[in-house]
Amino acid sequence: MYNSISSRRNFIKKMAQLSAMTAAAAMFPGIIFASEQEEGIPNSANLDWKKGPCRFCGVGCGILVGTENGKAVAVKGDPNCSVNKGLLCVKGYHQTMCIQSKDRLTHALVKKNGRYVKTPLNEALDIVADKMKSTIEAHGKDAVAMYTSGQSTIPEGYVASKLMKGAIGTNNLECNARLCMASAVAGFLTTFGADEPMGCYEDIDHADYFITWGNNMAEMHPVLFSRMLEQKTNRGAKIIDFATRTSRSSTASDKSILFEPQTDLAVANAICYEIINNGWVNKSFVEKHCNFSKGLTNMGYGTEDKYSFKDKPEKIDFEAFKTFLNDYTPEKVAKYSKVSAKDIKYLASIYGDPNKKVVSYWCMGVNQHTRGTWMNNLIYNMHLLTGKISQPGNGPFSLTGQPSACGTAREVGTFTHKLPKGVVMNEKHRRLAAKIWKVPYERIPSKPTYHTTEMFRAVDRGDIKFIWTQVTNPLVSLPKTSRYRPAMEKDSCFVVVSDVFPTPTSDVADVILPASWHIEKGGLYGNSERRTQHWDKMVEGPGETTPDAWMTIEVAKRMGYGDLFPYSEENHVEEIYNEYRQFHEGAKHGMAPLEVLKKESGVIWPYVDGKSTQWRFNAKYDPACKEGSDFDFYGKPDGKAVIWQRPYEPAAEAPDAEYPFWLNTGRVIEHWHTGSMTRRIPVLHKAMPEAYIEFHPDDAKALGIRDNENVKVSSRRGSCVLPASINKRGLPTRGQVFVPFFDENMMINDVTLDAFCPISKEPDFKKCAVKVEKA
Amino acid sequence: MKKRLGIISLLVLLFIAFITIWNFSYQQGLEEAYIPVEEGVSKYSLPSESGVFKRSEYAVEYKNMPVDENHQRLLKDYYKNRAYHGAPPSIPHPVEEMNLGDNTCLKCHQNGGFVNKYKAYAPVTPHPEMINCRQCHVAQNSNTLFKAANIAQVQAPKVGVNNALIDTPPMIPHQIQMRENCLSCHAGPAAPKEIRVTHPERVNCRQCHVPTDRVISEIAPFSRTKTDSNE
Repeated sequence: MYNSISSRRNFIKKMAQLSAMTAAAAMFPGIIFASEQEEGIPNSANLDWKKGPCRFCGVGCGILVGTENGKAVAVKGDPNCSVNKGLLCVKGYHQTMCIQSKDRLTHALVKKNGRYVKTPLNEALDIVADKMKSTIEAHGKDAVAMYTSGQSTIPEGYVASKLMKGAIGTNNLECNARLCMASAVAGFLTTFGADEPMGCYEDIDHADYFITWGNNMAEMHPVLFSRMLEQKTNRGAKIIDFATRTSRSSTASDKSILFEPQTDLAVANAICYEIINNGWVNKSFVEKHCNFSKGLTNMGYGTEDKYSFKDKPEKIDFEAFKTFLNDYTPEKVAKYSKVSAKDIKYLASIYGDPNKKVVSYWCMGVNQHTRGTWMNNLIYNMHLLTGKISQPGNGPFSLTGQPSACGTAREVGTFTHKLPKGVVMNEKHRRLAAKIWKVPYERIPSKPTYHTTEMFRAVDRGDIKFIWTQVTNPLVSLPKTSRYRPAMEKDSCFVVVSDVFPTPTSDVADVILPASWHIEKGGLYGNSERRTQHWDKMVEGPGETTPDAWMTIEVAKRMGYGDLFPYSEENHVEEIYNEYRQFHEGAKHGMAPLEVLKKESGVIWPYVDGKSTQWRFNAKYDPACKEGSDFDFYGKPDGKAVIWQRPYEPAAEAPDAEYPFWLNTGRVIEHWHTGSMTRRIPVLHKAMPEAYIEFHPDDAKALGIRDNENVKVSSRRGSCVLPASINKRGLPTRGQVFVPFFDENMMINDVTLDAFCPISKEPDFKKCAVKVEKA
Repeated sequence: MKKRLGIISLLVLLFIAFITIWNFSYQQGLEEAYIPVEEGVSKYSLPSESGVFKRSEYAVEYKNMPVDENHQRLLKDYYKNRAYHGAPPSIPHPVEEMNLGDNTCLKCHQNGGFVNKYKAYAPVTPHPEMINCRQCHVAQNSNTLFKAANIAQVQAPKVGVNNALIDTPPMIPHQIQMRENCLSCHAGPAAPKEIRVTHPERVNCRQCHVPTDRVISEIAPFSRTKTDSNE
């Protein structure tokens, strides 16, 4: 389908002859056609273009990779992909450049007497399997653990789940998506009973208003933001940025509203108060399709080991909900949220106007929140009260961070409580998994074990004696690494790290396994809008690099589970996907067959009778809805979504006299997460060589801190030295500092707090108290 | 005699004391006036984000505007009235002296437009908020030199060679301080044809184009503080 374009120059000339300049420009944005502008561009010979999803974020752009003589030499946006329509961001365009990095892990390394010794992969896998087996024999199944990723491919996640839950019989499987999407999942399950957004990216083409909640899309979901900007310039759609920091997104928006950290809970309730008080409730929708509930409050923050919490939902009625909201009048909330009552009323009037279509977007600001599940519930409340949901251009849309946080972490289910369909606590779900896996049903334990934070605490306590991490770098990305780095260094735990490059996590490994990078293997990802994307292997990896799925399978075979993993090395991606698809058969989650995925640039599930379902729960678009209904929230037994009563509660740690600043952490457009890939891409490294600490200019002045001067930021947990940044990339509100977390040489997560949402168990990386001084 | 000697020695002592104290306080004064160069200041400086989206409202207009082939500016003309690349351009047309601080320049240079008198499109300023234009931009009223000089010339960045891979969006090969707003030079009829962007409507330029030129210091490749684990 993507045949080689013999020469770019010729191709362009042909296009010009057809006087299709404008069409071509739309197809390949970024390419400049004037001959003067072409000078100096290398004349690429016979490039072979292959399609796939981008390696980086949850947007899931389609890419075309140009290869020549077995090397990837070019990347462009796939014009046939409806996600990005040919556009990428700077990370996407340069992604393949990291493969050639000089410090690429090309061979297995085994630690012997404190030194890493190059070891044949077969021997290294023997060591891993032996160690896993002997640990289980000596200390039980729950002494071994696997920690994978929202960047693992679907087959990688699937074999990890099958090995841990189906073969070994332990729920000690977690993934880094706990750090980014767990609150979104808990929000979906509590409100709708079914995970993942009801809408899709096409909502952008229909909405009148985009309201972003604590979400810097211009840097984190740049291609979607570009699509929003397009609607803004072409149609006059409005973007409203609701955040704690003035970012690139705020400057591009029509309106920027700033709030005090943690008070988003109160503002969302105040908006609901206004909606009800002004009679903007869509009564027939609420009566037909919604229930009201409340849960437990004062849940705590999980900062202590072995903390546990279980919510107790209790049905309430509309009147009780209305009374509850009396504490959240705009005037009352304005006092502590630092958002004016006028701005709260303005936001409410947008949600409340029946003639305006609204999409709400959010990602880490809402999810990495000690009340993240509540915050997700509250955004759904606004959309449910006004009936603005599951329609083109109307709906709440939870954005994902990682390229397969949906496809792998959530759909395959690489969390301790999850199975490829459903949860371990449910007998029916366990029976289905056991049947497809061909294992005795009793082997899958019914009790979840450790969520991510607790898993690393268990390593620290010595309860976990073997851990294998894949496709992730927890010793940079976990909160409070000041505790978990020494924990992983302890001799009590044998650490296996599969990665493409050395990282602070591989530094503490006993065995390092050399993994294939993205296009050096085939695989499948699933993006934010339920789109499943397939790609074939495009280039050979160096040395003994091997796909993570295959290394897991090899270890499983060595442990004696060969009969459960009857896959072939050449075709394992296809064989695994076909087995996995059985879990989701049916109108509610049917996935497209591989032949379709190979042809298309991704397909949205539920895929029913050869058709994608773009808007779930709306009978007009979703064949899974009950016959005769207009909307059917079929995730819940009675088909009704839940409007939750969730109060405002303070953050786990707030600024005080000793630690007077809020610390907010996040990302920058140039780097992907912990930078292990993007920092090895010269273009990106040169644009963003190191982390920094952002100040409000008034705070900097009061402290006597100048731009670029080194500053020490410390909390009760640890400290970190970084150069100050004043009036550059972003501008935090007064009393707040912001630090990007990509820089392993400036470990801001030594400073952060491991408090988490008691329901979702997702940590809050956005709020803790720090002090700053000149270094 | 003894009395006089006593007075003289007392005066001498007082004089010595005065010199000593004066010297000491002079040295102290010197030290206080000295501002030490502080260590530990990072070499890198990110470009500001101010003004990035400033001309977005003209983006669609720029996109739809037909190209006026006969009155296009060339990059070589763009550089002709700059002492070096990145220098503020000199004013290539006659100007009156008495308009400092008012908006005379902005009338043509805020939004551009065709100027019949010069048969050219007026370039658009990337920083219209700075109205003391002639603080940096001066007219060239003479063709002669006071003394000839050997001024070192840095070559201006070239077009078409700033891509890291085939087809990737070119990196920004110049400093962007006070020129954060890309559209003012890279879009519209006054933009030099070699650097005119085909897709001004994208607006969020730095989504794909990132700075690469670091005049102040060369950035070393990424290195880990820990040594490589590969043997």
